[in-house]
Amino acid sequence: MGLGVLALVGAWTIRQTQGATLAELYRWLTLPLQPQAEQQQAILENAQLSELQQRLIELDAQNQELQRLLNYTQAQTGEGIVAPVIGRSADRWWEQIVVGRGREHGIRIGSVVSGTGGIVGRVIQVTPNTSRVLLVSDPTSQVGATVSRSRVMGFMRGRSGSQAVMEFFEKDPNVQPGDVVATSPYSQLFPPGLPIGRVVSIDFEKSPAPEAVIELAAPVDYLEWVTITTSLEGGANP
Amino acid sequence: MGHYHDVFGRGGESLRRVGDDILKWLRSLSPNSRQIVNWAVTTLSVVMCLLALPLRLPGMELLGVPPDWLLIWVVAWSVKRSFWQGALAGIILGLAQDGMTMAQPTHVWSLMVVGMLTARLQKQRFIQEDFISVALIVFAMAVVAETLMAIQFSLGGWGLFGSGIYPALVEVWQYHQQVALASAILSSLWAPVLYYPLNRWWELMNSLEQIPSR
Repeated sequence: MGLGVLALVGAWTIRQTQGATLAELYRWLTLPLQPQAEQQQAILENAQLSELQQRLIELDAQNQELQRLLNYTQAQTGEGIVAPVIGRSADRWWEQIVVGRGREHGIRIGSVVSGTGGIVGRVIQVTPNTSRVLLVSDPTSQVGATVSRSRVMGFMRGRSGSQAVMEFFEKDPNVQPGDVVATSPYSQLFPPGLPIGRVVSIDFEKSPAPEAVIELAAPVDYLEWVTITTSLEGGANP
Repeated sequence: MGHYHDVFGRGGESLRRVGDDILKWLRSLSPNSRQIVNWAVTTLSVVMCLLALPLRLPGMELLGVPPDWLLIWVVAWSVKRSFWQGALAGIILGLAQDGMTMAQPTHVWSLMVVGMLTARLQKQRFIQEDFISVALIVFAMAVVAETLMAIQFSLGGWGLFGSGIYPALVEVWQYHQQVALASAILSSLWAPVLYYPLNRWWELMNSLEQIPSR
């Protein structure tokens, strides 16, 4: 019985510390399996190209909008930390990844994580050398989103996989397949203007509001390296 | 000696000698220190399972779903133990898995029910203890565990756990079908990998208990 209580206390400790010891042990054990730095360079260069293309469309549209409004807040840029993805979610119901950089590298809870092509999620837990990231493809993760071309606002929910669903606030949004979607200025968790993905199809009949299916720009199923931006705080509230 | 040959099979001569040494060492221990060794091995096996959870090796997943190592462990543990031992193991491993993912909704319920049901099954003696039946139990229990998780997500969607973002009811149950089937198939296929050594170890420990120590 004493051993049972001891085991119970141990398990409770794991739960309260969010499995910090296990995460560190896991990182140490999988060190030989982690991808090497040379691969990372090629992947990053490729990724930067497609990310820049999407950013260009986004910035172009944003620029026009700003010229009209003249109340633009300076976009923040932060330092990026490149981190290897060392594990996936420890359960089938959540879309999470474990990356091999943590508090000692300056990562904080809420840091924005982007992959090859766009955002992938945000940090929900850090240990000295690992962090756990909730992906945008998780059904419980919501992101304020905007269509770059027409500035139509809405929010995006994950749908466990490489696709997500965007719900619009308007009844008749100006959207078409192929439109680029980015984080909106109203997002509480992400800074505005980061690329998310492209519209694949739209269901205008959907009640209460129209929905669009979005293909995420970052390959969330096959992530090997991610960039974590630390100094970016959540978007400024209007 | 005959028992030990069962444990290590027809391995090489050196392996056999190592096995002999380990067995001799276990016999020489006092019952108390043997208990400590037993618990250390058991704990180590749980830690290995926990560390295997975030790992995705090629060929180990089906539809993006990995085998549920903790569920296999709870079944292996509970097959020959009492109702309450099964429940306790479920609670402990559930808490640990909560720590590695998210605490809301919790894994404690599903693993606890799995432990209790498995312990109950054995009493009715409908199922003989061998690999096929253990794989079948794991298959059924994986479906039970995933259903309990899906129910919790549905309850969360109705606001029973306070505020929080939960997926829509339709999405939960669509995903449940996919995840329950994939997890059940994969876990039952991988079950012997964990069940065989653990069961052998506990059997060996039990048989050593019977022999009065010198």
